[in-house]
Amino acid sequence: MEKKEIIKMSCFRFDPEKDEKPHFEVYDIPLNGAMCVQDCLTYVRENVDPSLAFFINCRLGFCRRCLVRINGKSCLACTTEVQDDFTVEPLLKEKVIRDLWCESL
Amino acid sequence: MEDLCDKIISTDILIVGSEGAGGHAAIEASKSGADILIITKGKIGQCGASQMAGADFNVDGLGGRELGFEGDERDSPDLFFETLVREGLYLGNQKMLEKYVEYAPKAMKDLIDWGMKVYSYESAHTEEMARGIISSGILWVATIRKKVKELKIPILEDTMVVDLLTNEGKIVGAVALDIVSGEIIVIKCKAVILATGGWHKAYAFNTGPEDLTGDGVAMAYRVGAELISMEMVQFCPVTMVWPPKDKGSIILYIIKEVDPFGKTIKLLNKNGERFMENYDSTNLEQSTKEIVSIASQLEIEEGRGSPHGGVFFSLKHTRKRFMDMLIKVANHRIKNEMKDTRYEFTTLLPELLEMMKTEDAEVGNGAHYMGGGVKINENTETTIPGLFAAGECTGGMWGAVRVASACTEAGVQGKIAGELAPKYIKTVTQGDLNIAQVKEIINRMNGPLLREVGITPNELQLKMHKISGEKIGLIKNGKDLEEGVAEIEKLLNVDLQKLYVSSSKNKTLNFEFFRAIELRNMLTCLYLSAKTSLLREESRGEFYRKDYTFTDNDKWLKTIVIKRKDGKTEIKFETPTITKISLPSGKLTYQEAIGVATASLKRD
Repeated sequence: MEKKEIIKMSCFRFDPEKDEKPHFEVYDIPLNGAMCVQDCLTYVRENVDPSLAFFINCRLGFCRRCLVRINGKSCLACTTEVQDDFTVEPLLKEKVIRDLWCESL
Repeated sequence: MEDLCDKIISTDILIVGSEGAGGHAAIEASKSGADILIITKGKIGQCGASQMAGADFNVDGLGGRELGFEGDERDSPDLFFETLVREGLYLGNQKMLEKYVEYAPKAMKDLIDWGMKVYSYESAHTEEMARGIISSGILWVATIRKKVKELKIPILEDTMVVDLLTNEGKIVGAVALDIVSGEIIVIKCKAVILATGGWHKAYAFNTGPEDLTGDGVAMAYRVGAELISMEMVQFCPVTMVWPPKDKGSIILYIIKEVDPFGKTIKLLNKNGERFMENYDSTNLEQSTKEIVSIASQLEIEEGRGSPHGGVFFSLKHTRKRFMDMLIKVANHRIKNEMKDTRYEFTTLLPELLEMMKTEDAEVGNGAHYMGGGVKINENTETTIPGLFAAGECTGGMWGAVRVASACTEAGVQGKIAGELAPKYIKTVTQGDLNIAQVKEIINRMNGPLLREVGITPNELQLKMHKISGEKIGLIKNGKDLEEGVAEIEKLLNVDLQKLYVSSSKNKTLNFEFFRAIELRNMLTCLYLSAKTSLLREESRGEFYRKDYTFTDNDKWLKTIVIKRKDGKTEIKFETPTITKISLPSGKLTYQEAIGVATASLKRD
């Protein structure tokens, strides 16, 4: 299979101050070398929408604070490589504070 | 005061930072019965640099034996001290180093008593003596977290201390921001222990976690504390530069240090040349950390680097059978013997080794350890009464090279601060807060939220990283530093004042809002580092000037101390504090100086 140059990240968004309910935004992510979910999220925050709330700290699987759901499965954003379109959601949707950040993190 | 902030809290001792230094300080201070509060930017056990440490701790060989390890009977505290002074190229504070050696076994004993698992005892820095106790960062911080919870020490997590409050030059409190709720908290206290780590994030390429933004160093500077050795920034060679998912990992550096495997690797430039032959033909890739990093950076800057700005880490010359064996041994040791669960070891390393059967890895020099910071004495006191500091946010102990374990430094200084801050608070009463100072801090903090146009934190960060990468990096020179100082000064005085939160004014988990505060701190540290780098007209240890390559013991056995007074930076030069070892004289080439300092190392 040929490697994709641009993948689509479907991302859970929720700002309790202005949104009545959560929705998904789709972002085009240019793949530039092997990238993890955190690289895609950082790409959006630095190039598209700086208000995207998520947690990244150690970037290498130590702190375990970047737990999210990738295609429904709980994963660390910093160690999960992506090569194809994917969906990212908070670990516990019912406990979301803003976007991908939820209470239990 | 109530109308300025959302919450007011009182405590005796505020500890800023919760990990190797701050957590240790809190546990020690709690023995005194003093009222203490930890404020940490992340969650305890899941933030800061400690979790990512290798982690090796150091104690002298006799101290090691007393702790029940194999130790080394040839060693003594005096010999360990002598190594630290010599290999730090004599710029270290000898009183602080004596305290480091004395307290290293005590801090280690604490951690063992609190239940920290130890993997092994071995020579960690290829010293002549066995002085290393090997554990891991995550075992270390989990131990501290457990103890802090057990002692029920109050802690505010995901909260960032923004600035310190003083009255008549003494500490009276601090202002903090709850990152999750956006609430502003004013803390009244008699003493503060800073344990906030380094300012790695001022560099685009670094080995630290996201929260290392120099907060403690910059806020201490803003209340007039002296800083020291800000020019000493250690860059770690053989840090992964590519691909993005591995960037910043030092796993290959760790592997390079493992005997005998380390000797099989080759560092190559883009022409396939084993360039270490030109810099240290005897020791090659096994040369000192400083020489390997400077050599590879010179190759990169002279256009012989790899496509993504590094050099090549190559194992292609080895046989497939060797690589298969290596992967098997590594897997066995990590998974079965150490039962290590760290991603870098269990997943990243085997993947990289598999890849390196056919491809080379790309590695470079990531900003790794800050040798400079808040100036403290051997009792962890800063020059501001009531302000203590511990761990990487402090400066001056090591001199020109971080010779031994920074984990041990965190524990030692944390323990000392935790012993002495409770004594200090008994000698003072709670001072009044200066309302005007609180107002100014809060207004400045809210500025970016109120502005509707200007420069975004992302834009300012990009500008900062471009300057730090191009002009204030590992290989320094006067012209670049001069420009770097002027450019960072402009970012501080002009751009920072125009900073605005562009995307959302909701203060809950607002990345742009707290990054704006952090940028001020990173720019402050970077500015002071560039300014002091420009002054030091020599090369020494981790500090390298291409225009002054000599190590000049006649002129430059001096530390640079910098502080803010009446809105301006004030600089002075101080001869390092001496106890037992007198300072050498003479001018040596950079390699000679390192060669003399490390002559006793066994490399075979």
